Amino acid sequence: MNLIDLRSKLDNKEIGAVELTQDYLKKIKERDAVINSYITVCEEEAIKMAEKAQAAIDAGEAKPLTGIPVSVKDNICTEGIRTTCASRMLEDFVPIYDATAVARLKAENFVMLGKTNMDEFAMGGSSQTSYFGGPKNPYNVSCVTGGSSGGAAASVAAGLCAAALGSDTGGSVRQPSAFCGVTGLKPTYGTVSRWGLIAFASSLDQIGVVANSAADTGYVLNSICGYDENDATTSKKPQGGYTSMTGGDISKLRIGVPKEFFEGTDEEVKNAVMKAAEFYRALGCEIIECSLPSLKYAVAAYYLISSAEAASNLSRFDGIKYGYRSGLGEDYNELIKNSRREGFGKEVKHRIMLGNYALCSGYYDAYYNNARRIRTQIRNEYASIFEKCDVILTPTAPTTAYEIGCQENDPVKMYTADICTVTVNIAGLPAISTTCGYDSKGMPIGMSLTGKAFDEKTIIAVCDRFERDFDRRECVL
Amino acid sequence: MRYQPVMGLEIHCELLTDSKVFCSCQNEFGGSENTRVCPRCSGMPGTLPLLNKGAVKLAAKAGFATNCTVHNYSAFDRKNYFYPDLPKAYQITQFESPICTDGYIDVVGGKRIRINRIHIEEDAGKLVHDDYEGISLADYNRCGVPLIEIVTEPDFRTVEEVQDFVVQIAQRMQYSGVCDARMEQGSLRVDVNISLMPYGSDEFGTRAEIKNLNSVKSIGRAIEYEIQRQSEILDNGGEVVQETRRYNENHDDTKALRSKEEAHDYRYFPEPDIPPVLFTDEEIEEIRKEMPELPHKRFERYTEEYKIPAEDAKLIIAQKAFSDFYDEAVSAVPEYKMISNLMLGEVSHQLNETGMSIDEVRFSPADVAKTAEMAAKGVISKGSAKDMIVIMFEKGGAPEDIAKENGFIMDNDTSGLDDIIDGVLAAQADVVEKYKNGNEKLFGFIMGQVIKAAGKGANPALIKEALTAKLK
Repeated sequence: MNLIDLRSKLDNKEIGAVELTQDYLKKIKERDAVINSYITVCEEEAIKMAEKAQAAIDAGEAKPLTGIPVSVKDNICTEGIRTTCASRMLEDFVPIYDATAVARLKAENFVMLGKTNMDEFAMGGSSQTSYFGGPKNPYNVSCVTGGSSGGAAASVAAGLCAAALGSDTGGSVRQPSAFCGVTGLKPTYGTVSRWGLIAFASSLDQIGVVANSAADTGYVLNSICGYDENDATTSKKPQGGYTSMTGGDISKLRIGVPKEFFEGTDEEVKNAVMKAAEFYRALGCEIIECSLPSLKYAVAAYYLISSAEAASNLSRFDGIKYGYRSGLGEDYNELIKNSRREGFGKEVKHRIMLGNYALCSGYYDAYYNNARRIRTQIRNEYASIFEKCDVILTPTAPTTAYEIGCQENDPVKMYTADICTVTVNIAGLPAISTTCGYDSKGMPIGMSLTGKAFDEKTIIAVCDRFERDFDRRECVL
Repeated sequence: MRYQPVMGLEIHCELLTDSKVFCSCQNEFGGSENTRVCPRCSGMPGTLPLLNKGAVKLAAKAGFATNCTVHNYSAFDRKNYFYPDLPKAYQITQFESPICTDGYIDVVGGKRIRINRIHIEEDAGKLVHDDYEGISLADYNRCGVPLIEIVTEPDFRTVEEVQDFVVQIAQRMQYSGVCDARMEQGSLRVDVNISLMPYGSDEFGTRAEIKNLNSVKSIGRAIEYEIQRQSEILDNGGEVVQETRRYNENHDDTKALRSKEEAHDYRYFPEPDIPPVLFTDEEIEEIRKEMPELPHKRFERYTEEYKIPAEDAKLIIAQKAFSDFYDEAVSAVPEYKMISNLMLGEVSHQLNETGMSIDEVRFSPADVAKTAEMAAKGVISKGSAKDMIVIMFEKGGAPEDIAKENGFIMDNDTSGLDDIIDGVLAAQADVVEKYKNGNEKLFGFIMGQVIKAAGKGANPALIKEALTAKLK
């Protein structure tokens, strides 16, 4: 059921908010022991929020998200509810503030079901680096969910929430959405406040939405978007209205298909995305072959910038103020060292090492500064594509969800799998991923639509148009 | 001295903003530990810095106060290092694009000291070590207190130049409302970079940095100690090690803190959470227009327009509040010298005695001006003017009333004066005789006798005039 229908059912009293929440909590109990999409389920709080929501509905004060059960990724701070980043380091960290995105949903009396699983500190593409054990793909529990918002995507796919907040630094909302057969939207940088989002790479991070449809992602984005004085990087441009173009005529749009994104992509993925292009062509859209020549440098640039920022952002976890503190250490240098050694997982330490290396004097120019140059170059290349196109169509990932464990020992392969998603973050653009087919094993194939900055409504409409004619399979649990 | 010292300074000034630089916590000195702390300045996960525009404006003013270029574009960077008093484990500072560059100040001997840059940054917290318990505790009250760092070129060659520069910076920052410049409280801290080279050489030696000097006197002593220490090393054929040293006031020496090898690699990179600071030319001009008259300009006004001696002018400008008081007084009554004398004399004396500051006194600049005017016009004597200041310190009150109540108003009626003088001259006939025989020193004695006879309130100027005429 989409969110608009759910809204009217709640408003018509066909369903009670408490009843709806209990229904989701029951499903979580039944299914999540296997899927492991939640790190923390907020049973009591959710019921309380649902009661409050019902009171608002009864008083005729319902807002778009009132009474809608949503999951929140566990790197988004929630007042009074532990926020772990799927790390031992923050296993017991309970924030005293809400992220702005959560606060805005609370202002609408939404229902928070719980906090979802993820890669530790959002670093990864499988969610398997979680300290709490990785989530499983609802389409095949021996496969990964993708990541880092794997719990968010799995919770939506498995019907364990109506929508989910995730975060996307290099594809972390879109890629797991593709792997789990749902829709994931990464808004333009500056659209959703990062206040309360525990930073991975500040210049790339953006809170996004995972839902059952493009329209639903826009529906949620309407409520969380907008300038926030607590985050100086938010823009005053986002004003909502993200579903205003859905159902409209998209046949005059020009869709760019950059060839580089199809190199090294699985045949099945390539074919499904090209089939989607044909779908749009049949509607009357102009399909334009275009090029993003710097794509070959994108993964390197992304890992240098994101790891450099991460190394700095994660330095605050020293065991002094909050979070995990080692029992070992004669002085504070030792204490800090041991706390970080024991509190962080392998992948996180890997990126911290990489980031610090890239920032060291002597290497800074070769690594960090070159990455900045590539960033500018990629932005320029996008700008020139958007002179001729309205949206860009690409695969979301070169593959479908793979078996758990098969890529763990090959970081380079893992990193290069991000090639289809990172450029969007590097350029700060909006993008949405939806399912455009299934591979021979029945796993979902994702395609992405990238738009101009702050033009989410166009990509949502284009994505929505495809979804209307596409027969999405339910996962069988 | 066999070597030429070469010095450069880094001066940290705490900015006089109401709140901290990246959060809304109060910016204040002292107070109980960790009472001015919030999720932002204690580096809680998910929090973001929010730039205090007031701090940026004060940094721009510091630039104007030191002849710098204030830039339309400046940006923040992160300086990364671990220390328990730095909760984010990075300091937000300006590295690549500071707000001000290329300034200067002229110091003693007319020498121009170039200022490389002024940038904005945040202060760290404090660690309190309890050796008895064997523990260290962190106080984050100072975390996020806004600072500017003023960095000079290595243009100093003498202690006097350094000290004059520091005094001038302190005054200029105080006058511009940038910093209260209380060195003893640490709101202005000085690091000195110092190296030696043989006279005549133009190749700088290896430098040592002396950290956190908190008085002009300490700066002088630390430099002298360091010159001595480095000279001895060089004399013995040794090499000065590049390192950071701390001056210990009690031992009057400097001790190594860390060497170059132990120095941090700060891994600077652009701060992604704060957009660059952009100013239009108009906005920069608006700030410049708000600049008050600076102390060196006041000094010129006092010495050139008011003809106040340089030493006196220097003393008046030393504290802005004192100088403001003086300016207000002379704007009421243009008795520049008389008011200067009263303020540097009895007013300063009483301030020292009572430990009060000029803002706390019971009288206004207009009261001092009135007192000076009465003395200048001969309504009261100069000696009475001093007494009046003392009374004003103790009780306050209008100068006219004080003068009347205490009988300070001089009697300018000379009608009975001739008789009084004649009486005194008759009574002191032998002294008068000696005076007339050439012992001119006795004039003072005779004068004193007349004043005594004339009583309190007699006008000494008029008595002198009349007595001189009689004794001719």
